[in-house]
Amino acid sequence: MRKYLLVVLLVVLAVFSFAQKRVTITMTAGAVGKELEVLYAQLDRFMKANPDIKVSVMPMPNSSTERHDLYVTYLAAGEKEPTVLMLDVIWPAEFAPYLEDLTNDKAYFELDKFLPGTVKSATVNGRIVAIPWFTDAGLLYYRKDLLEKYGFKNPPKTWDELVRMAKTITAKEKNMYGFVWQGARYEGLVCDFMEYLISFGGDVLDEAGNVVINSPAAVRALQFMVDLIYKENVSPRAVTTYMEEEARRVFQNGQAVFMRNWPYAWALLNDPKESKVAGKVGVAPLPAGPAGRSAATLGGWMLGINKNATPEEKEAAKKLIKFLTSYDEQLYKAINAGQNPTREAVYKDPQLKKAAPFMVELYGVFINAEPRPRTAKYSELSDVMQKYIHAALTQQMTAQKAIEEMAKELRRVLGK
Amino acid sequence: MKAKTKETVVAWWMVFPALFVISVIAFFPLFKTFYDSFFEFGLNPNFPRKFVGFKNYVELFVHDPRFIAALKNTIFFTVVSVALETVLGLLIAIIVHQPFKFRGAVRAAMLIPWAIPTAISSQMWKWMFNDQSGIVTKILERLGVIEPGFPILGSPDTAMWAIIAVDVWKTTPFMALLILAGLQLIPEELYEAARIDGANVWQRFTKITLPMLSSTIAVALIFRTLDALRVFDVVFIMTRGSVNTETLAVYNRVLLMDRAFTGAWFGYGSALSVIIFALISIFAIIYIKSLRLKLD
Repeated sequence: MRKYLLVVLLVVLAVFSFAQKRVTITMTAGAVGKELEVLYAQLDRFMKANPDIKVSVMPMPNSSTERHDLYVTYLAAGEKEPTVLMLDVIWPAEFAPYLEDLTNDKAYFELDKFLPGTVKSATVNGRIVAIPWFTDAGLLYYRKDLLEKYGFKNPPKTWDELVRMAKTITAKEKNMYGFVWQGARYEGLVCDFMEYLISFGGDVLDEAGNVVINSPAAVRALQFMVDLIYKENVSPRAVTTYMEEEARRVFQNGQAVFMRNWPYAWALLNDPKESKVAGKVGVAPLPAGPAGRSAATLGGWMLGINKNATPEEKEAAKKLIKFLTSYDEQLYKAINAGQNPTREAVYKDPQLKKAAPFMVELYGVFINAEPRPRTAKYSELSDVMQKYIHAALTQQMTAQKAIEEMAKELRRVLGK
Repeated sequence: MKAKTKETVVAWWMVFPALFVISVIAFFPLFKTFYDSFFEFGLNPNFPRKFVGFKNYVELFVHDPRFIAALKNTIFFTVVSVALETVLGLLIAIIVHQPFKFRGAVRAAMLIPWAIPTAISSQMWKWMFNDQSGIVTKILERLGVIEPGFPILGSPDTAMWAIIAVDVWKTTPFMALLILAGLQLIPEELYEAARIDGANVWQRFTKITLPMLSSTIAVALIFRTLDALRVFDVVFIMTRGSVNTETLAVYNRVLLMDRAFTGAWFGYGSALSVIIFALISIFAIIYIKSLRLKLD
């Protein structure tokens, strides 16, 4: 009898210890700037507070395209790892069938306290499939010292003004370009193009998802980008090969008056060890177009949960995401990695104002950032847009023809 | 008789592991791709499998200008780069075949471009072609060939040539190495006899060296052509296929990776893979037939 009891006790103990077993989950992460370092510090705090969960990090390539390739491979194979996926804002619709539905956890993640635009981009057909982690928007960086030297009090308010200022300054300064941006054929080109397009009064798709790119406004916007290079000579011909980092290097070597880039550049531009223009840089919203408004493309990353994970892993993943997107952790990330919070309240925090004043001052830009066209076929749409915009920028087609062809091919791809 | 059958059985059992491995790693993917190319589907469950017969192939050749452009780019790249590599490789092989001081060191140093992984050397060259700090750009600027700030990799008329230049730089050593091995197999007596008969350098080259080298060159050509027809890394890293440099493999990446979840393109991409496979086979057969190469 005693022996019997002992066996029961052992079984109970075994079951109990099994229940107490640590859940191991994996998450993907980028390593732009100080991103990864900051994440490790955050995960240490999380694991200390949740001893039953172990999080291991799968570092990913920095290029969004390469990350996309890896995710396609994991998800198509039905892998349960990575448990937590770091997703670009343009991916939720495409990856939605593989992501855990978080619609009922809105309150748990306090989504009503997040910037509405970021929540919207995590929503696919009314389902929430990811939680916004940090946000991004296109900004205009300018040389404060040069603008002052030539008597300009404020950064340009309109694109025409930018062209005028750039021309005035480059005419007198040696070895100086007016305006550098991202003109290579890749996703960044679509981001840049959207900003001109919307500030000129055009759009790619309407509310119903119909292709409306074939408009005079779109042709004028694209023509303006072409003119920046070939007519106004404000941008170097080589912008057609520039991505973020190429533009940043030209600007931080003191060879350009204006640059369009994301918030991440701020900390690097002001690092005296790396940058020749540290302390001479200002940031402003992008200029407005003839439509009277300025537009910044919405960028950023969110966290989603792999549908193939086990229920315990999903629970642990939710805890982790709640932790990483909490007020304190977003503030920590904003200050230390320069990545913009997705919670509204963090922007009012005095600590943030001290560390990254532009984030607070340009709050309006981040909250009004324009999402790229929302469709489950985004990668196809982007691929087509990149092709024709770049063909116009390298003068293989006129702007008019490029927009017409783009519209035709978009209709074919989207079936609309 | 009985002993022979037994031996055959044993032999089959001994080759079986190799055959099994080959069928799993080589033939299965090949047949799967072939099979997939007759369907229209995406990896996303919203785009289920539908049999379409030869529709994907028809689409590619009839309605897809991007495919036709990529096909042209691929063939142009292959013909030009392989031709340059063969001529330069032959030249270099003949030079390093002559006895001179430090010959061993030169032969080893020659191989460096080939030993660097393409992904790395392509990135390195991309920097050298950079408009601001690239050394190639600076040199061409000084020589007055291009205007300052000209983007070599961003212009439709120069980008493909830049890519070909990098490929030639990278693989000529491989060509030279193969041809050098062939040169060393030619008996010295042949040249001596020719010299006694009064043959000059050019006659010795065309009557002895070239014919004796033909099978070596054929093997080298096959290797290089097959490689060039599926060129991906150089093009993808340097231009991502923009400004008229998209090759079949780069376009295939778009179909199979970028669009795997966003549309029913997976069968289409498989069809393109089959076409690349067929193209490579055709080239291989042409070489083997025309150079009367014996593979056994």
